[in-house]
Amino acid sequence: MFRRILIANRGEIALRILRACRTLGVEAVVAYSEADRDSLPAQLADEAICIGPADARRSYLSAPAVISAALVTGCDAVHPGYGFLSEDETFAEVVRAHDLTFIGPPPEVLERFASKEGTRRLLGGFGLPTIPGSEGMLRDDEHALAEAERIGYPVLIKPSAGGGGKGMRMVRTSRELESAIKICRSEAKSAFGDDSLYLEKWLDDNRHVEVQVAVDRYGAGVHLGERDCSVQRRHQKILEESPTPALSAEARAALAEQAVRAVVSAGYENIGTLEFLVDREGNAFFIEINCRIQVEHPVTEMLTGIDLVALQIGIAAGEPLGLRQSDVKINGHAIEFRINAEDPAADFRPGAGVIERYHAPGGPWIRMDSHLYPGYEVPPYYDSLLGKLIVWGPDRETAIARGRAALEELLIDGVTTNIEIHRALLENDAFLEGRMTTNLLDRVGGAAFLAAAAAGARG
Amino acid sequence: MPDAGPQRQRATGGASQDAAARSAAAARQADHESIDRLTEELLPALIAKLGSTHLGELEVREGDWHVRLRRPYGTAPGEGRRSTDRPSRVQPGHEGHGHGRAAPEGYRASRGSGGASGATAGTGAASASSNGTGAPEERNLDKSRAIATSPAVGIFQPGSRAASGTRVRAGDSLGAVNVLGVPQDVLAPVDGVVGSTLVEAGMAVEYGQELIRIELAAAQSSESRS
Repeated sequence: MFRRILIANRGEIALRILRACRTLGVEAVVAYSEADRDSLPAQLADEAICIGPADARRSYLSAPAVISAALVTGCDAVHPGYGFLSEDETFAEVVRAHDLTFIGPPPEVLERFASKEGTRRLLGGFGLPTIPGSEGMLRDDEHALAEAERIGYPVLIKPSAGGGGKGMRMVRTSRELESAIKICRSEAKSAFGDDSLYLEKWLDDNRHVEVQVAVDRYGAGVHLGERDCSVQRRHQKILEESPTPALSAEARAALAEQAVRAVVSAGYENIGTLEFLVDREGNAFFIEINCRIQVEHPVTEMLTGIDLVALQIGIAAGEPLGLRQSDVKINGHAIEFRINAEDPAADFRPGAGVIERYHAPGGPWIRMDSHLYPGYEVPPYYDSLLGKLIVWGPDRETAIARGRAALEELLIDGVTTNIEIHRALLENDAFLEGRMTTNLLDRVGGAAFLAAAAAGARG
Repeated sequence: MPDAGPQRQRATGGASQDAAARSAAAARQADHESIDRLTEELLPALIAKLGSTHLGELEVREGDWHVRLRRPYGTAPGEGRRSTDRPSRVQPGHEGHGHGRAAPEGYRASRGSGGASGATAGTGAASASSNGTGAPEERNLDKSRAIATSPAVGIFQPGSRAASGTRVRAGDSLGAVNVLGVPQDVLAPVDGVVGSTLVEAGMAVEYGQELIRIELAAAQSSESRS
């Protein structure tokens, strides 16, 4: 096991990793930008070190700054969290070149899975059904138009790097494609420093289901069930749950087993998530793999009782998985609500400001992962995630009831949040009946969705 | 970074000086010696004192002089302070790398913030006034010192120009912070004379850490008198 880990991230995930370190008896150093000097992870860490200015390109995205911080603080491993440098194989390589361990897949594994488009073909070769898409990256507009024609509209433009819905657009015509591709390129460039794009067939009314896997260095792998992440706004997840209401228990098990078989065969290592689109008929198509801890990992932790971050750290340290598939018990139902500083009534515009009052809900089977505290200033430079509320119940209905109660109790004053959207979701028929698709919110927009929920409550 | 320097007020020509001003020269000379002494001896001691207490303000009177130090908290807006330039928190059990986080950072010249705010950016920490001479000296004292900060996280190596007493200009390299073998220059934020170096050679430093004090030369102070 490691002695001292540098946490190269911020916000709730830095806190989550810090807590895992404490549990494992490993010292934690938090690398922070000037904008995060007063953040909770920086305050709670065994040591905190400022690595650069607020601009992420010179702090959280700067490989030299992060690695130098790890070296001067005497760390032996770097945890990148999610986003930022978490799936950057060059970073992982440089980390290793400085005799540090990257907590995630080893560089050569990251490299093998670096291209989303290449991974689709790789795992397709190991038996996973994959979504139709472009052959390789889009070279230019002409290539994009030809590929879109071949796949058939509508298509989704996706950046090869990163995630979180940035640089992603669905287009239904060639004219839309031509204008959207420029926006996607510039968004991808500024968000991930890489503007390569590819195309994917867009399925109308699709659902988003993902399988959590864990594979150790010795080729032993398990899945930890799946998560449904269909509730999204602008291609960004805001509510996740497990098990998915989209598939039967048999179909869920079959998909998860197929997924873990494919990644073990393809030489994957460490924890990872395979994302699938599920169409109206229940057919699942693999779209991409995320080689990192995910925002929504607590859903799986609630169902399995397995600490995924600790597992991830252990695998990176070379420990055997110590789990057989039969050891993984999936129990009950869990829902995660992402609480963001954003205004659902104003097209989910992100906000910033000082948290005036904060109260996290409590009680049995309620978990709040958040870096907020009263007086904390939410900086405007980074993503808008303020925290995650996770509830568990023996079944979906109970989990929803506990979610309602917890959302009622949750109090955040000082910044506009999306809590109302979650309350409205828990009154929405499509959600309650488990019929929600990824366009549930975007089809009508945040404001109209809230208005409809209010009208429903009155009627 | 020439724009980070304080705007020095040049003398506006000896010929226009009237007889009254000349007659007050001796008194001013005395004032100046006091300013120098304040800068060299009293202020550092007071800053250390303020840093080690929870006081928001300290005032010392001596003869015609009084010196008041205020923490940057709650100061009037428009002092060129960036939101990211907040003073380090004081945290029990968090010693960082041995640098005193409790010291008021008012004197730290914020790199990149332009013009007159250069030497005083983030301050409001010190003001001194003489009952005899008034405003110009007050401003001079505000700008009497700036601090060169670390451009990156790494290992600090002072250069030849970091020796105490060396006269430097804004933008001069005072040394380097070694980031994975690549040296990044520590730059003088203002024109002045190198004072004390706050971090030993070979020590780990974080981004923005205070490294070398720059004193504004006394000669420059007198130039600014009109």
